[in-house]
Amino acid sequence: MRATGTGARMLMLGPLGFAAPWLLGALAALPLLWWLLRALPPAPREVVFPGTALMAGLTDPSALARRTPWWLMALRMLALAAAIAALAGPVWRPDPRPAGTGPLLVVVDAGWAAAPGWPRAQDRALAAIEQATGAGRPVAVWLADGQGGRGTVRFGAAPEAAARMRAAVPQAWGTRYPDGSALADAPASFDTLWLSDGLDHPGRAAWLAALAGRGAVTVVPPARPVRALALTGDEPPALVLHQAGAAGADLPAVLAVGPDPQGVQRQLARLVPPAPETLASGAIAATVPLDLPPELRNRITRFAIEGEASAGAVVLADDRVRRRKVALVGDARATEGQALLSPLHYLRQALAGRADVVEGGLADVLQAAPDVVILADAQADTDAEPLTRWVAAGGMLIRFAGPRMAASEDLDGDPLLPVRLRPGGRDAGGALAWGAPRPLAPFDAQGPFAGLAVPGDVTVRAQLLPEPDPDLGGRTVAQLTDGTPLVTRAPVAQGWVVLFHTSANADWSNLPLSGLFVQMLDRLIQSARAPQAAQPALAAEAPHWTAQTVLDGFGRPAAPEGLAPVAAEDFAAGPAPGAPAGVYAAGERRAALNAGGALVPALAAADWPGATLSSAARAPGLALGGWLLALAAAALALDALGSGWLAGGRPARRTGVRA
Amino acid sequence: MVGSPDPARADPAALRAAAEAAAAGLPALLLAAERLASVVDAGAHGLRRAGTGDEFWQYRAAQPGDAASAIDWRRSARTDAAFVREREKQSPQAAALWVAATPGMDWSGDPARPSKQARGMLLALALGLVLLRGGERVAVAGRPARGGRAQAEALGRDLIAAAGALPDAGALRPGQRLVLVGDFLDDPAPLAALARQAAALGVGGALLQVLDPAEETFPFAGAIRFRAAGGAAADHLTRDAGALRAAYLARLADRRVLLAQMADAAGLRFGTHDTAAPPAQALMWLYQALAE
Repeated sequence: MRATGTGARMLMLGPLGFAAPWLLGALAALPLLWWLLRALPPAPREVVFPGTALMAGLTDPSALARRTPWWLMALRMLALAAAIAALAGPVWRPDPRPAGTGPLLVVVDAGWAAAPGWPRAQDRALAAIEQATGAGRPVAVWLADGQGGRGTVRFGAAPEAAARMRAAVPQAWGTRYPDGSALADAPASFDTLWLSDGLDHPGRAAWLAALAGRGAVTVVPPARPVRALALTGDEPPALVLHQAGAAGADLPAVLAVGPDPQGVQRQLARLVPPAPETLASGAIAATVPLDLPPELRNRITRFAIEGEASAGAVVLADDRVRRRKVALVGDARATEGQALLSPLHYLRQALAGRADVVEGGLADVLQAAPDVVILADAQADTDAEPLTRWVAAGGMLIRFAGPRMAASEDLDGDPLLPVRLRPGGRDAGGALAWGAPRPLAPFDAQGPFAGLAVPGDVTVRAQLLPEPDPDLGGRTVAQLTDGTPLVTRAPVAQGWVVLFHTSANADWSNLPLSGLFVQMLDRLIQSARAPQAAQPALAAEAPHWTAQTVLDGFGRPAAPEGLAPVAAEDFAAGPAPGAPAGVYAAGERRAALNAGGALVPALAAADWPGATLSSAARAPGLALGGWLLALAAAALALDALGSGWLAGGRPARRTGVRA
Repeated sequence: MVGSPDPARADPAALRAAAEAAAAGLPALLLAAERLASVVDAGAHGLRRAGTGDEFWQYRAAQPGDAASAIDWRRSARTDAAFVREREKQSPQAAALWVAATPGMDWSGDPARPSKQARGMLLALALGLVLLRGGERVAVAGRPARGGRAQAEALGRDLIAAAGALPDAGALRPGQRLVLVGDFLDDPAPLAALARQAAALGVGGALLQVLDPAEETFPFAGAIRFRAAGGAAADHLTRDAGALRAAYLARLADRRVLLAQMADAAGLRFGTHDTAAPPAQALMWLYQALAE
């Protein structure tokens, strides 16, 4: 039984409150029922019986049978009264209301952390508003959701405040407190009821100090600790389940939701968190590894904490969660026995742990439906036809140049190259060459490698050069300092063909030995097949992000309405007013903005200097409904026993009289 | 006509309709009665002397005064004398059957059981068939008693058509056998009067009380308003029917004692039968009660 009804006023009888007092009106029917039961015994059955002629003059042997004994009636009445009282929602010593006579300010934390206890907070706020109205106090409501245009705190009529409170919903970003200037128009003295979500948001202490300076502050902490879910940036990615406060050490499971093979959204996996560790902030956290089969993992669209309805408990999956299947195709015979010279060796090393690698002949690996096929200095030859079809259907083909490609006769006619290549290639920095090995130029801010740092010691000694072409500039995504292309790419229907103009082993360049090689492959592979999702931390290169799907404060997806595109630097700062948690797109790239993260709880009284911590949230009155229902059941059981005793006892007495 | 006048009998059309409806059940009743009657094999009981009867007794020489038509010509042709064929004298008894046709009789405590009246008629007709086969003359009380197979159907028809709890006292004939079937739960005074008259006329016979098991065990409990069958004014309201069981059963036993005394005084046999028991038992009892 809830401590408070849904916005209904609570009837107080001394220390006893009733959440639904109108139900007590049913008690008025009890005397009527008593009179009816006594005055009108149940109608007898009609039976046609020829033996009636023999019964003339027989009288019922016991007068007791005509009327129910008074104590049985009293027992039944007690059961009925107890049931009625139980349904009226009695609470022993319900929440104390903020006392005082001045204006009342109700501050409600309206970030995602408030969502799990929102109905309760709403009820509490409405009850306080109603009570203040009854006492003739001006009321103001301040929703700490950080949405602009609120101006200052203005006290006004209670219906307005109640309507605003009813219409309020938690938002899909963290609670934001105003600064003290919001109180500019407020009277010099007022009381405050603060429905906190239990987290130490920025600016809380200053806001609390500003409020405490105007009058008594009563803080209602949430009934249960806030929980949030976050995705680590590590490889492989993992989920971190945070809980503010160690109360209830049993962490709930994390559900992975996504479309099943029929396209129906359903729970794909249930991840049980390991034993949590306690953080310095007082919160506890547990890391849930994502050890799922790739087929399952790639279908997941969101993770959610089981039984926690808030935006912070939802992690929208983007390509960081997906695990790509990469097929490596090279000519193993070329460098048989010399592992360190094989181009595939460096690719293998670069991809280890980051993607699922399939190796084999081209015909074989295409059967495995890879996201990316890497051809290391190899020709498609007879399998060119299926490979072209696969690329056109959305595959990403990454090719590396090499001696064999340079020596190829029909380089000009190869359709699976982004640019036309000049036969032969260029050697720079060799014993017979004039020039020195060339370092890499910084990456273009619009390209797939935007934001990657170029180490100065990476040089390219040999490369394949393209024929001059008007399209060449648009297809180059990485180039050397002299302007010759290092990586080019071109779209083929829905797929991409990418060419590294140097080899995948250390023969032509020391690029494969550098960390940049790994990062570049990562970027390329992550952009394969699905819309590109950049790391939020690296999102600075996109000027604006447009919301595709947003979450509401309860973590439910909704269509974005009236949301302006978000500037990149605001986007990087996380969810905020105007940028709720959700999936955002910039051009062809998509990124998830997730609300959850590490939590800093503010639960102890020491965190609220100058305020009264309402104990009501932790002991919200003793609900007596269950006990009264139990009493009613016990009374009915006694009634059954008594009736049975009466029925069993009477015949024995009668036969005694007859004998 | 016997018994109390039925309103339906005032109107000839209604009477005809009632009779046809009743007669529709006659073949089934006859068939059931035939089957039941086959359990009792009665022979005609001759008197070992010449007289009127069906069975051949002896040939004797014709004497003057014998009608010519009495001479058995085939026997006489073998010799010169004329012979008369004599038959064994039989003294068929006349039996009057009566099945009470009160609303209470047309009642059954359980749809699976026949009503008391149906069972009573079955017993009466089966008894009639047995007696007819034995050469007796049988009729519903108040109708002329006749013998022969043809009487069976008339007997059934009359049983169905009869109304009233008891036959008219005027229908009794000296030396008759009287078989009364009914529940005898109503006022016993008319029955006592009839029994006294029967005793005065030297009428023997049997009294068979047919009851439903519900009437013998009183399986009721709780608050019940008992109503007599047929919309009679008599009803009885109780809040605790279970507590009345013993009193009711005591009254039923008293009634049976009364009936037995009444029957003894009138030289009748008294028996009981309940509709859950096989009818053959009751038929055997009735037959033996008449045979003695």
